[in-house]
Amino acid sequence: MEPTGKVLMINYEKCTGCRLCELVCSVMHEGVSNPSRSRIKIIKWESEGLYIPMSCQQCEDAPCVNVCPVKAVSRDETLGRVVVDYDVCIGCRACVSACPFGAMGFDVIGRKVIKCDLCDGDPQCVRFCEIHALEYVDADRVSVLKTRDAAQRLSVAEKEGAVLLAQA
Amino acid sequence: MALNKKIAYIDLSTGKIETKPIPLEVRKRFLGGRGLDAYLLYNHTDKGVDPLSPKNTLLVSAGILGATLASATARTHIMAKSPLTNLLGSSNMGGFFAPELRWAGFDHLVIKGKAEKPVYLWIHNGEIEIRDASNLWGKTTTETQWAIREELNDDDVKCAVIGPAGENLVTFASVMTGIKDSAGRSGMGCIFGSKNLKAIAARGTMDIKIAYPEDALEYNRRFITQIVSSKVNQTQGTLGTPFIWGATNSWGGIRTRNFQYNQCEYADDIEPERIDEICTETMGPYHMAGCFGCQVHCRAQYKIPSGPYAGKYDEGPEYTSQGAFGGEPDCKSAVTVLTGNHLVDQYGVDNLEIGSIISWAMELYEEGILTSKDTDGLDLKFGNDEALLEMIRRICFRDGWLANTLADGGIQASEKIGKNSFGYLIHVKGMSNLHSDERATPALALGIATGSRGSDHLRSRPAIDLYHLPEEVLRKVYSNPVAYDGPLSSEHTSYVGKAWQVFWQELCYMGVDCLGICKYHTTFLGATLPNFEDWSKVLYYNTGLEMSPRDIWDVADRCYNIERLFNMREGLTRDDPKKGDTLNHRYFDEPCRRGAPDVIGAKIDRKKFKKMIDEYYEHHGWDENGVPTAETLKRLGLDKEPSHLV
Amino acid sequence: MAVEREGLSGAETLAKTRTYGKFRCHNPSCMGRFQPEPGAKRVKCPACGMEFRVHWIRPDFPRIRGPVWDVNRKIAQEALAALEAKKSAAKAAPKEEK
Repeated sequence: MEPTGKVLMINYEKCTGCRLCELVCSVMHEGVSNPSRSRIKIIKWESEGLYIPMSCQQCEDAPCVNVCPVKAVSRDETLGRVVVDYDVCIGCRACVSACPFGAMGFDVIGRKVIKCDLCDGDPQCVRFCEIHALEYVDADRVSVLKTRDAAQRLSVAEKEGAVLLAQA
Repeated sequence: MALNKKIAYIDLSTGKIETKPIPLEVRKRFLGGRGLDAYLLYNHTDKGVDPLSPKNTLLVSAGILGATLASATARTHIMAKSPLTNLLGSSNMGGFFAPELRWAGFDHLVIKGKAEKPVYLWIHNGEIEIRDASNLWGKTTTETQWAIREELNDDDVKCAVIGPAGENLVTFASVMTGIKDSAGRSGMGCIFGSKNLKAIAARGTMDIKIAYPEDALEYNRRFITQIVSSKVNQTQGTLGTPFIWGATNSWGGIRTRNFQYNQCEYADDIEPERIDEICTETMGPYHMAGCFGCQVHCRAQYKIPSGPYAGKYDEGPEYTSQGAFGGEPDCKSAVTVLTGNHLVDQYGVDNLEIGSIISWAMELYEEGILTSKDTDGLDLKFGNDEALLEMIRRICFRDGWLANTLADGGIQASEKIGKNSFGYLIHVKGMSNLHSDERATPALALGIATGSRGSDHLRSRPAIDLYHLPEEVLRKVYSNPVAYDGPLSSEHTSYVGKAWQVFWQELCYMGVDCLGICKYHTTFLGATLPNFEDWSKVLYYNTGLEMSPRDIWDVADRCYNIERLFNMREGLTRDDPKKGDTLNHRYFDEPCRRGAPDVIGAKIDRKKFKKMIDEYYEHHGWDENGVPTAETLKRLGLDKEPSHLV
Repeated sequence: MAVEREGLSGAETLAKTRTYGKFRCHNPSCMGRFQPEPGAKRVKCPACGMEFRVHWIRPDFPRIRGPVWDVNRKIAQEALAALEAKKSAAKAAPKEEK
């Protein structure tokens, strides 16, 4: 299989905070509704109306991979993801401590570390997110879209500047 | 399985807490949520109980599908005997509380007694603790929630709380969760206050096992497509519920100046599009938020743009805030609507009721029934924005004679004020009507007159009746899951077949309330949204419970009859102007003075209305006085109530 | 019960009747369905003459923002006057009709 090079892109501005992604993630992986067993989590500042979905960044040089004492965590280049081999994992949670994003979780019922596995290439959180706060896109799109946004801001600023100049 | 969530009996007087499983037999008869609450209320209260006494039983619950893959399974239901109506009290809120309650192990809380001092309940993974809330008393709804999170050192705790209005026993105080999700109707916050119960906090990491995960996921995906592709939900997801107010005002179905007019003319500043502009200006282009698991996202985020509360963050405003603080008092300012919405959210009071009751007082003031002596000098005229906002505060804190009187509710206040003030009170069973005018729409008028919690649009409103749908479309909707071959009419000014539509909608809304699903996901505002047929599937995939659409219909029928039995026991009689299935005389006597052709000049015809009620009783299997017949009760297995199964 | 084998639900079959791009006149005695020009801010119902201000949810999805107050108020009042004139005429000569 050709490497997909696709990544989970999170546009937190769009997130409505509904947590359906947490629900479908826990149902997909564990057959239960239980956000504490979800691989994605929405962090909220309710008093400001700010909702930010957090999930594994699938780092190229991943601290969880580096820190694992039994080499149970590794990169899977086909899907561009970091995976846990549960046959090897001893459940020491070193990876949980090492992750800078808090994206490596610990499932208190399954007694194991859990992380996003991109649902083997069909992320359910993306499939259910109607407002597209979550998208599964080619890695280069992430920066291109950001560049486009920034370019548009520049363009608007330039036009406004021109108007001001004309008025002066 | 999804059905292993428990019922907890909590006695706040003694501190005794008992938890029990819910027998499958009970599930099959009442499902959960509002339906099972109704059964519990009937079984756990005595006839004629004083709503504010420790003997009133307070019920808090999640629906049987709460937090499962059935789309928008966010609803919390709260029930008790109402301090506002002295009949059935029942209210429902969105947000994130009910799912958390289920993950913490519980579906139903049965709360009795009264705590000696302020307390809150802490529910965590199967355990329930009664904790001191002295330091929370006096705090607003959001202050309370943030303080509890800090005390428990957990940002994921979800709370159902009351604000100052509930503490001060305002009979229409709400229970709230989050910034603005409110169980506002019928004064459930007042019942919290009467029990010295400031809040219920829940947090859980327990599983809700999904019976058939793959099917549940696939069907939910399909369900969501169905729901978000409807025009009404797309509009809802952009403009929120204010769009309904805007559309209704356009043709003249909005109550304004209490009941003097049916259209708020030139109200461009409080139109949904204008409110949406303010949300965009203050919160950016992506300012819509959603309740748990819901893709409709009808909740707008905003900051108040100017005035004394400038910069304050809040959510909404809903239709009811536009009606309560815009249309009704004839204050056509977006800032007033947004500020009023913020105050009711913070104080924890029903925006609908407080807006209606202040407008009623404004009409009494303009008619000279109330004077400036009664208002402590406040110029309580229509269109006085400052007086409106000041009255909100006064009522919530019972500040002054008039505010203290109004805080007791419309009927009680009218008895104190006298001088035909009752004749001006636009209510059913003591609960104020929504800020809509039903004189041109007999089906909607029947719905509010017969609602089991008093005047209400979320008990039975056949809103799709306004769309002039072809008869075959109406028949497709209203002939399932039980056959109906009686008349139906596409004309919303007609009285034909409307009784059946109201009856059908009553059971439809009881259905979603038992399941714990939001009404925007069923046949409320759109004819193309899911109902009984679809629920049968989501129920099976998520819980494994096999129930046909007809079975769910029968549950809804059973639960609606339990509510009727409760109301009968508490003194409802058909024609009682205070407790009956009646409307204020102005519906029959005063024609609409504004609106589109056929709306202007319209009023309800007394004879035809009476006939409609007769038909409606017949569909329910009730006698001509509205009492469920022995045969009906036997058919529904309710002939031996109270049966004390749980 | 496999999901993909199931046919369309009642609600799903009704969804086929949806009409994006069009809306219905807010005059209850008209309820005409018509389609505004793309981007139009104001429309006149071709059937009854009532005028409305338009808001676009999306470029392909218009909704009625509200009435053009002066125009619609006049139409409604004329309709009421005509109805009342008819009523009083009928009252004045009730037997002639039969």
